[in-house]
Amino acid sequence: MMFLEHMKALYGYRNLIWTLAWGEFKQRYKNSVLGYFWSLLEPLLMLVVLYVVFSNLMRIQVEYYQLFLLLGIILWNFLSRATSMGLNAILGKPSMVQKIYFPREILVLSSCITALLMSIFESLVFIAFMAVFQVPLSANLIYVPLILVLLFVVSLGLSLALAALNVFYRDVQFIWAVILQAGFFATPILYPVTIFPESLRDIFLLNPMAHIIISARDAIIYSTPAAAGSLLYAGVMAAIMLAIGYVIFAHYEPRFAEEM
Amino acid sequence: MSVIDVEHVEKVFRIPHEKRTTIFEALTGLLRPTGYETFQALKDVTFSVEEGEMFGIIGENGSGKSTLLKLLAHIMRPTMGTISVKKKVTPFLELGVGFNPDFTAVENIRTYATIMGLSKREIEGRIDEILDFAGLERFRDTKLKNFSSGMQVRLAFSTAIQTDPEILLMDEVLAVGDMEFQQKCLDVLNRYRNEGVTIIFVSHDLDSVRRFCDRALLLRHGEQVTLGDVNEVIDRYVSGIGLG
Repeated sequence: MMFLEHMKALYGYRNLIWTLAWGEFKQRYKNSVLGYFWSLLEPLLMLVVLYVVFSNLMRIQVEYYQLFLLLGIILWNFLSRATSMGLNAILGKPSMVQKIYFPREILVLSSCITALLMSIFESLVFIAFMAVFQVPLSANLIYVPLILVLLFVVSLGLSLALAALNVFYRDVQFIWAVILQAGFFATPILYPVTIFPESLRDIFLLNPMAHIIISARDAIIYSTPAAAGSLLYAGVMAAIMLAIGYVIFAHYEPRFAEEM
Repeated sequence: MSVIDVEHVEKVFRIPHEKRTTIFEALTGLLRPTGYETFQALKDVTFSVEEGEMFGIIGENGSGKSTLLKLLAHIMRPTMGTISVKKKVTPFLELGVGFNPDFTAVENIRTYATIMGLSKREIEGRIDEILDFAGLERFRDTKLKNFSSGMQVRLAFSTAIQTDPEILLMDEVLAVGDMEFQQKCLDVLNRYRNEGVTIIFVSHDLDSVRRFCDRALLLRHGEQVTLGDVNEVIDRYVSGIGLG
């Protein structure tokens, strides 16, 4: 019930949420068309480097490895960007916290939406790649929206916790950067989880991001339905992370204005 | 009917001797607790404001006026006591919250007006009026960073007053700007008053307080000294200064 009330209140602020998210997005690309294209260079460069290293040196044999890699990078980039921006959503906007009132989670939510806009833009590159490699499309694409919602919820939950903690502990941002870096290698982005023996695999699959990325690959690249178990696990983890993130945020929120 | 009820409100700030701002410091600090000073910004403040009233809050610097406004605006929470606000509060604590120097005047109007709670349709209908009032029609597509500080304040003020407040909190907004601008502010204040908006007015400008407010509250070192008719409260304040 409380959750529904809360969602209703946030819905009343949808205009503000969107204005803040869109403003930040425009600001990032400095309103220039060229700015948008620069932002595509980063994932492409990463793709090239990782592709060369992993397909030639490590000899990973995966069908459509370029796409496999690019999809993993884009999805991970979203998590990474959303949480890094979310981390500063409160601390980076002192006047909005100290001089005016609206529910503070709006700042975190809108920064996650900005990250989403940036990722949507990046995924245009992926769509182009899909066309170039002539990957057959299937009805399994209907899983994609659900997978993206799960990814967004995971990112929002983490961002809420990080944004609140960062106000009180300024080293959270450095610690989080290290965790993200480690997470990039610990999540099956560069490799399929099947390169590990069964026993190790289960450890990797504790990570909800692993399930999200694997499901997305199945549905988008390999014309396979996403595994129900994966979606269920990711869904439960996403709900838990959002709940924990929100509890942490709500705990610290009353003291934001004083602490900044 | 009262729209704001403040009962026995206290606000205490804790100021640690050694501020710990990292997880590392917090963990190592568990073994070696640091002391802190408490600063009581407000002590046992009780008052209520009637609908449509213009209520002044006066006092020296550091007497807790701004803290009280922030409590009313829900930006901070009281340490003790209760605050109940029955209508929508619009705080004018700072003009131009969320202004972005890289955006044009119109873009900034849209953002700021949204933050101040205007709907999309209301904003689009009022943009021309806002620019006109600010005297900046020619600069609608100029980036804010190319504006002088005076122009920025005019733009912010013109946008802010387009909101339809039910309860308005004003903190020293009049202190910025030249005479003409201050006069405009006072005109707007008068307009709001005639429209029946409840206004909480914090100012050092005792003449304005006397002219506009019905009742006032005098704070000294966070304590409520007098509450009542504006003339009596101001007289008490003025005589109190001499007595120290």
